[in-house]
Amino acid sequence: MKVRVTEYLDVALPERRWACNRCGQDLGPAERSYKEGCLITHRDPREVHPVLAPGEEFNFSFDPEWVRLVEFYCPGCGTMVENEYLPPGHPLTWDIELDLDAFERTHTQTEGAATMTEPGA
Amino acid sequence: MGSLMDRIKLHEGLVYDKHPYGKAPGRDPSLLTRGIEPPSELEREGMERISGLELEVFQHKMTSIVEEARDVYMALSISEGIITGDMNASIFTAEGDPAVVATGIYFHTLLNYGQVKYVMEYYRDDPTVGLQDGDVYFFNDPTCGGVHTFDMFVTAPIFHRGVLVGWAEVGGHQGECGSISPGGFSPRATTRWEEGLHIHGMRIADGWELRRDILDFMLNSVRNPFVFASDLKARVATCKRIRDRVLRECERRGAAEVAGALRKILEVSSELAKQRISKINDGIYRAVLFNDGVGQESGLVRLPTTVVKQGDEMVVINQGVSPENHKGPQHCTWHLMRASMGVYLFTYFFRGLTPNIGLLEPIKVLVEGPSVANCGAEVAHGEGTTISAMNVQNLHVIGSKMLFDSEHRMSVSAPFSRNLMIYVYSGTNSYGYRTANFTGTQNLAGQGARFDLDGEHASGFYWASVTDAGEVEESDTRLPVVTLARTIDKDFHGFGMYRGGVPSVEISAAPRGGCELTTRGASDRLSHNPGIFGGYAGPPNPRFVIRGADVFRQMQSGAMDLVLTQHNLAHEQPLEGEYHFDYSSKATESFVEGDLFIDSAGGGGGYGDVLERDPESVMDDLRNEIISAQVARDVYRVVYDGELLKVDLDATDEERRAAREERKANGKPFDAFVAEWSQLRPSEDKLTYYGSWPEPNVETYTKPFWGLFE
Repeated sequence: MKVRVTEYLDVALPERRWACNRCGQDLGPAERSYKEGCLITHRDPREVHPVLAPGEEFNFSFDPEWVRLVEFYCPGCGTMVENEYLPPGHPLTWDIELDLDAFERTHTQTEGAATMTEPGA
Repeated sequence: MGSLMDRIKLHEGLVYDKHPYGKAPGRDPSLLTRGIEPPSELEREGMERISGLELEVFQHKMTSIVEEARDVYMALSISEGIITGDMNASIFTAEGDPAVVATGIYFHTLLNYGQVKYVMEYYRDDPTVGLQDGDVYFFNDPTCGGVHTFDMFVTAPIFHRGVLVGWAEVGGHQGECGSISPGGFSPRATTRWEEGLHIHGMRIADGWELRRDILDFMLNSVRNPFVFASDLKARVATCKRIRDRVLRECERRGAAEVAGALRKILEVSSELAKQRISKINDGIYRAVLFNDGVGQESGLVRLPTTVVKQGDEMVVINQGVSPENHKGPQHCTWHLMRASMGVYLFTYFFRGLTPNIGLLEPIKVLVEGPSVANCGAEVAHGEGTTISAMNVQNLHVIGSKMLFDSEHRMSVSAPFSRNLMIYVYSGTNSYGYRTANFTGTQNLAGQGARFDLDGEHASGFYWASVTDAGEVEESDTRLPVVTLARTIDKDFHGFGMYRGGVPSVEISAAPRGGCELTTRGASDRLSHNPGIFGGYAGPPNPRFVIRGADVFRQMQSGAMDLVLTQHNLAHEQPLEGEYHFDYSSKATESFVEGDLFIDSAGGGGGYGDVLERDPESVMDDLRNEIISAQVARDVYRVVYDGELLKVDLDATDEERRAAREERKANGKPFDAFVAEWSQLRPSEDKLTYYGSWPEPNVETYTKPFWGLFE
């Protein structure tokens, strides 16, 4: 079974592995961050956020000297699972570290749990 | 809490569950951290007597009293901040804990137990002070439990036939407080001593009569005595209204039942909060935000948030926070960090539960200090809310990740906009008296996108979502500024499968005679409005003014027959004048008639991948002029007829398929990415106030994820 944990992430039980909610791609063991199973890139935020005023800073867009846009993609379908705006080189965020024993207990003992996900394609 | 907390290692030599400063005259920080007081004998008697049904009725009655008080205070006040809802009204237990809270700024009420508990601890039995019916206390000191010196409150005990049953409390953003900058906010303040009047909790009235000598002292300490006096009387009058209403209930139920019911509200709320928490997946959750300045000076500042949730308990931890910098007013206190969390928790996480401090009881708060988040007493505190808001934004992101797999998914969203700029206008207004305050445009921030809907435009104030922007004509007469336009602006929100809400941008001008302007803000080159689940952030929000525009002359000559929007003014620069785009924290400057100010509270973040946004919704955004063709084409990757705004669905599918392939081709596996990424580092001039890179308080840190300490 798969349990949907976020918009784009499922956890497969009892395997305890992350999976893409959109395509079912395996994203690695749930004991670790799903980000370790993603493809990752960093971008100049100005590629996304239009520059409205002249100058390198204070132009209503992000200054790439201060932050870069880090994007995490599903290697199966290319969906952007998450992103972060980080100063260049700043360590990534392990954002969801589930207590998997409790998680499995909850979701395997709750009959008809509303959070069951449809399997990925 | 058991095993999950074992994975957390706090740094030695720093404080986490208390303030890094100690007692002083009028101040006892231990009162701010000790939690809800145990019930008194009187309260215990009443708690046993009142049934669950009667408690429900009572709670609704008390809520209607504080909501009425909110309306009364807003109607009586002449301060723009108060009129537009930057305030609160509440009822406290007899022992000093906030039990009934009006809509408005939740954290105001969640803080003001500081003065009440101080009075109860040190003054009630002191023969030189004492405590009796008709006493009114005034309070605004941030180190004693307050926010900043420009948020001012009064409180009064509620005695029924000589028995203390509770306290009435009213207050809000008064503004001017005698600090070095008119209107309160003082970007150049570096110590507490530059932030004006500090009153820890002082009796200002006997028998509901304001003491003339005390009043004169306060009025002589501020630049706008007329406004100050008027608003102070409004607060006292509103407090008396609350007290009179509660006394009616005492006549019906008796003192013990009222006192006990107020205390029982906290107990019930705490239990409901535990039940809500217990239904969420156990785990450790993290988010981090950065600021790009400390006041008037630039520099990276870091505020990470870790939440450990297990069973029916949560611990919120801020560890690895940038140190105190002594260079500006962006320093927060332990109690403000905790109280500010109520803004997210009460509105989203505990949605549906009645707000009061009982909801915070199951949540342990550990804020590293001394740091910008848990600072000493001597630093400037005026913009501590910038720091606590970063924590609230982190908590919002974390909360959404916690709640998605729960029965409360409806609360999942990107955070409300917090790229808040505040323009404080000072001078003489149309009525002829001196004033200094901001306009209601602060209450028009964009909402973050929700799990099933776009964010609302111009939705509310970050700190108080139930607010109104006020009438432009009224603010034009009350403040030395003339509003020309409020617009829903273009490319000024976070993009995503569901997009963030757009703020209303206010474009205004200095009136005849000119005015002074002080600005405060943050996030000018980066953002505090994160998206979620791949949604993009709301954009930065720097200061934007146009000097020498002589806009009223240009209006007469027809040059103003243009679309008056931030996007147009910044991008096209169609008016004559000097265009200034700056860091938003700027000390007071003078402006002359016709100079222009462009101001907003920023746009909300997006939810989900942009490639999953319905192409027809993208066309709606284009028609509504909230995105440019560049965004539709390059960000949303929609192929459409530029004239008819008609989507080519097949071509869009193909374009988006190609975009996904581009991502897969550009993306690197984790290890390869980290190997490249970890070689990068911000330039040294940006790290002056950061602490050690990348983990403040850790000499060397090489892990790919932050916050993992051995």
